[in-house]
Amino acid sequence: MSAPVVPAAEASPMGEKIAELLHELSVRPFSENAAFSLTNYTFWLIIAVLLLLVFMVVASRKAKLVPSGIGNLAEAGVELVRNSICVDIIGPEGKKYFPFIGTIFFFVLFNNLLGNIPPALPGTGTVGTTFTWAIIVFLVYNGIGIKKVGFGHYIKSFVPAGTPMWLAPLIFVIEVISHLLRPFTLGIRLFANMYAGHIMLGVFAVFVAMSIEHFSAVGALVVPLSFLMQVVLRVFELFVAVLQAYIFSILTAVYINGALHTGEH
Amino acid sequence: MELIIPNTTEMWVNVAAFVVLFIVMWKVAFPPMTKMLDERAEKIRDSIEKAEETRVEAERLLEEYRQQMADARTEAAKIIEQGRTVAENMKAEILAKAREEAEAEKTRTLEAIRAEKAAAMAELQTSVADLSVAVAGKIIGEKLDPAEHHALIERYIAEVGSLNEK
Repeated sequence: MSAPVVPAAEASPMGEKIAELLHELSVRPFSENAAFSLTNYTFWLIIAVLLLLVFMVVASRKAKLVPSGIGNLAEAGVELVRNSICVDIIGPEGKKYFPFIGTIFFFVLFNNLLGNIPPALPGTGTVGTTFTWAIIVFLVYNGIGIKKVGFGHYIKSFVPAGTPMWLAPLIFVIEVISHLLRPFTLGIRLFANMYAGHIMLGVFAVFVAMSIEHFSAVGALVVPLSFLMQVVLRVFELFVAVLQAYIFSILTAVYINGALHTGEH
Repeated sequence: MELIIPNTTEMWVNVAAFVVLFIVMWKVAFPPMTKMLDERAEKIRDSIEKAEETRVEAERLLEEYRQQMADARTEAAKIIEQGRTVAENMKAEILAKAREEAEAEKTRTLEAIRAEKAAAMAELQTSVADLSVAVAGKIIGEKLDPAEHHALIERYIAEVGSLNEK
């Protein structure tokens, strides 16, 4: 894929740098001469997944009653997802869905966090990733609902009992649209947060670079401020990384809970 | 718009990533951790229950000891009280006995003294009477009939003796 065209800004050196940044963050092949064309994002995604696999397998081998070190860290995550997400939202039967929601949580978390270490990109900073996972969530939660009450009942539950006949088709259509929008909003939310975070970091990095290249009195002020913003945003991005992993998992749990209790709301 | 059109290669990589991750997490990584978490929760619940039981037991024991202490204190007070009563009774008894004995001794002694005195008096009376008769005889001459005058003197001495006894 080619770099996004930014016609208005192309004239100025700042515009060039920003265009370059956007090109860096756009989805493109990781290496031009690779046999299998991984994109820049998927390259880092695979690294994150491998790190996650090693981390979890090592942590699970170290699981003991009195936790320590790496086991403690993994456990904090497991406990958060299992108790604060699965059980708190779905109820005691939520533990059954922990492997699925936990996989999502750790996957999103590791990709988000790895993206904070330059030059890595967050595997979740591309819609290719976020939409895929959002669609998986969509298929799984609907599958759970259908498995529980049967396809007919599940579809019928889109229209709450007691709805007037003339209103039922409208409600049904609205409900179907709202369900279909879920993977979209789920995917866009995560992608936009990660992508926007990196654009912000990139823009302040461009400010620093530009101010040093074209030194001026204003630049002397811009450099420390932009550098400070870099630091602040890095910390903020760490927070966003954890928060977005939490939100993605919590919404997954909410959708599963909704599918399990169709027609009760 | 290009931004939100997913790249199909990326999507397939993600599907593969999901499948691999999910299987490994579900079958390998999570079970020991969740099992251990459940065990720990169980252990903590047990510990708390046990601690609660121990606390209740300790409280019961404390209450028991407190009761025993109070009982012992009451018992001790009772024993001391009894001892005191016994001692006082004994004291009163001993005193009474001693007083009685002393009284008896005194009475006996007084009796003896009185008897001695009476004997001495009687003897003295006889002697004084004889002596008086003799003296009077000497003074008045042989005219005095001893038997007649003896009675007179006896009466006189008795009068003097009764004065003396008062």
